[in-house]
Amino acid sequence: MPSWSSFQPFIPIGLAAGGAYALSGVGMVVLYRATGVLNLAFGAIGAMGALIAWSMINTWHVPGGVAYVACILFGGVLTLVYGMIFGRVLAARDPLVKAAATLGLALLLLGVMNRLWPAQVTRTLTLPSDNGGFAVGQANVDWTQVIAVGFGIAMTAGTALFLRVTKLGTAMRALADDREITATLGVPVRRVEAAAWFGSGLLAGAAGLLLADLDTLASDALTFLVIFTVSAALIARLRSLVVTFIAAIVIGLVDNLITPINSITNFRDMTPFVLAIVALLFFAGRRQYSFARGGIR
Amino acid sequence: MPVGGRVSGLRARLGLGRRDALDGVVIVAGVIFAVAALPSLLSPYWVVNATIAFIYALVALGLGVLAGRVGLISLGQGAVLALGGWVGARLLFATSLPYPIAIIVAGLITMVMGTLIGLPALRVSGLYLALVTLMLAGAINVVLTDTNFPNGGKGFLGYNDISTGTPPSIRRPSIAASDPAFLRYTVIVVLVMFVLVLLHIRGKPGRAWAAIRQSEPAALAAGVNVTVYKMWAFALASFVTGVAGALLGSSSHVLYNYQFPTSQSIILFAVALMGGIYTMWGAVVAAFLFQIVPSLFTVWGISNDWATILFGVGALQVLTTAPAGIAHQFPRDMAKLGRLLFGLARRVAPAGGRAP
Repeated sequence: MPSWSSFQPFIPIGLAAGGAYALSGVGMVVLYRATGVLNLAFGAIGAMGALIAWSMINTWHVPGGVAYVACILFGGVLTLVYGMIFGRVLAARDPLVKAAATLGLALLLLGVMNRLWPAQVTRTLTLPSDNGGFAVGQANVDWTQVIAVGFGIAMTAGTALFLRVTKLGTAMRALADDREITATLGVPVRRVEAAAWFGSGLLAGAAGLLLADLDTLASDALTFLVIFTVSAALIARLRSLVVTFIAAIVIGLVDNLITPINSITNFRDMTPFVLAIVALLFFAGRRQYSFARGGIR
Repeated sequence: MPVGGRVSGLRARLGLGRRDALDGVVIVAGVIFAVAALPSLLSPYWVVNATIAFIYALVALGLGVLAGRVGLISLGQGAVLALGGWVGARLLFATSLPYPIAIIVAGLITMVMGTLIGLPALRVSGLYLALVTLMLAGAINVVLTDTNFPNGGKGFLGYNDISTGTPPSIRRPSIAASDPAFLRYTVIVVLVMFVLVLLHIRGKPGRAWAAIRQSEPAALAAGVNVTVYKMWAFALASFVTGVAGALLGSSSHVLYNYQFPTSQSIILFAVALMGGIYTMWGAVVAAFLFQIVPSLFTVWGISNDWATILFGVGALQVLTTAPAGIAHQFPRDMAKLGRLLFGLARRVAPAGGRAP
């Protein structure tokens, strides 16, 4: 077993990755509860946003700040457009069909990304915050890692607060409880859903930007990092934002803290699957997992 | 008794409808053509591609059983295929079992592994199963990246780190050593698997699956053991996919982990949807889309990324406008077109006849 000092450098890396997964996870859960759509294209949307930002900086020489904003906005606009077209068409269908349709979007984006940004070329996206930082024990912490964790906490707390105190947030919670009754009460369902689509898309773009810096800027890898997000959302039973955040941080930490353990380091990316299965077994033993209606907590 | 009457009587005795009988005739003719003529008509490139397409028809068939018959969506069938490939290669290298026995054992081992892995997810509702199987696909990919596929080495993993030279070949049956012969052999195995699945669908499991798909609580109330029949479907799909994996290893003689990326599971699901998950013909269409379309793109100099885009758009189109897929939509569209052309011809013909 490696010494404690071997694990220390991986703590900030794991926390930062967890923060980015939490961003996606919070967006995924809010969208699911408000619209019934589990967006499995979250990773692909973030990946494409990050690749657009990369092209803006390296090909068109646009200032970094503008490119980063474009990345986040791209996530929001693309998700909104998808939601307005396919979200409406599939509104009455089973959640399974809605989730499957987002896989179609993921494939479409994956094909477009591989076409426009061939995988053979290695690309890196470094945020200016990578250059500064501080040390804690044996670990060097850079500002991007701090931003990822901080943003994850802020978005989880901010979204929970938004859902509690604002009119739009209350409408989203009402939608999560019962769409039909909410519509009968005069809530503009379409507008509320559009806000959920756009907001979750912004989070997908932000998560994509952070993961492109913290992990890698490769379309396939970023697209399938959605597996980590899905695991966190699944552990939270697609309901609790706080549990989603905690699960995302745990997944990020476990995945990275395994790195120095030579005997299992190659299997570290199995973390989301193993943790999700453990959670499933735990919950299945206590009560049946179901998608019974219930608000966002 | 007229011939038509005798045929109707035979159909009635076998419990077949007119459509079933027509399907039967088309299948028999198709199999005879695929075994007798197809290998000699195709170039070596297309013989290999046709073999792989038939193998992927089995994977799509498994997906059809799960999604179309029971309503279970598995996003990890590509990983189950890889598992079948691994087990098949290991058995074919390590034992001298006759080839048909080896692929059946590979299917059975994959069935046990696939069912055990999917067991926790079967206790939960549909969306969770889809999510867990997606994660499973990622996890199996991680394991295979580390263990590699057997290549005649020693030990449990059967992997020998060969940096130079050609790795040993995964064996084929002695009667099907050449590519055309292996295509014929594959067609026969695929036919047997389709018949096996058909027997399930027409039997008690099929009725139980239909009840579960309609309404799980109603099926439960009717005395259907939902967990057992879901597990049965998972086992059958894993068995069929395991056999496909073993055939795939023999087809290409060697397997690499990069042949089974996580995205493959999703593409397989998309093409299964496009082909049609409610009929067995859908599996054939799906296999054509999965293997033949990208190969045609390669021949025409079109990037395979366009195939991925096509599958993404196709999945969206099927889910929004044609849930039964191409296998259902295409014959209806053709029939409509036929009626339209026939109507036009009838309108034009009398006018022509009356002309001076």
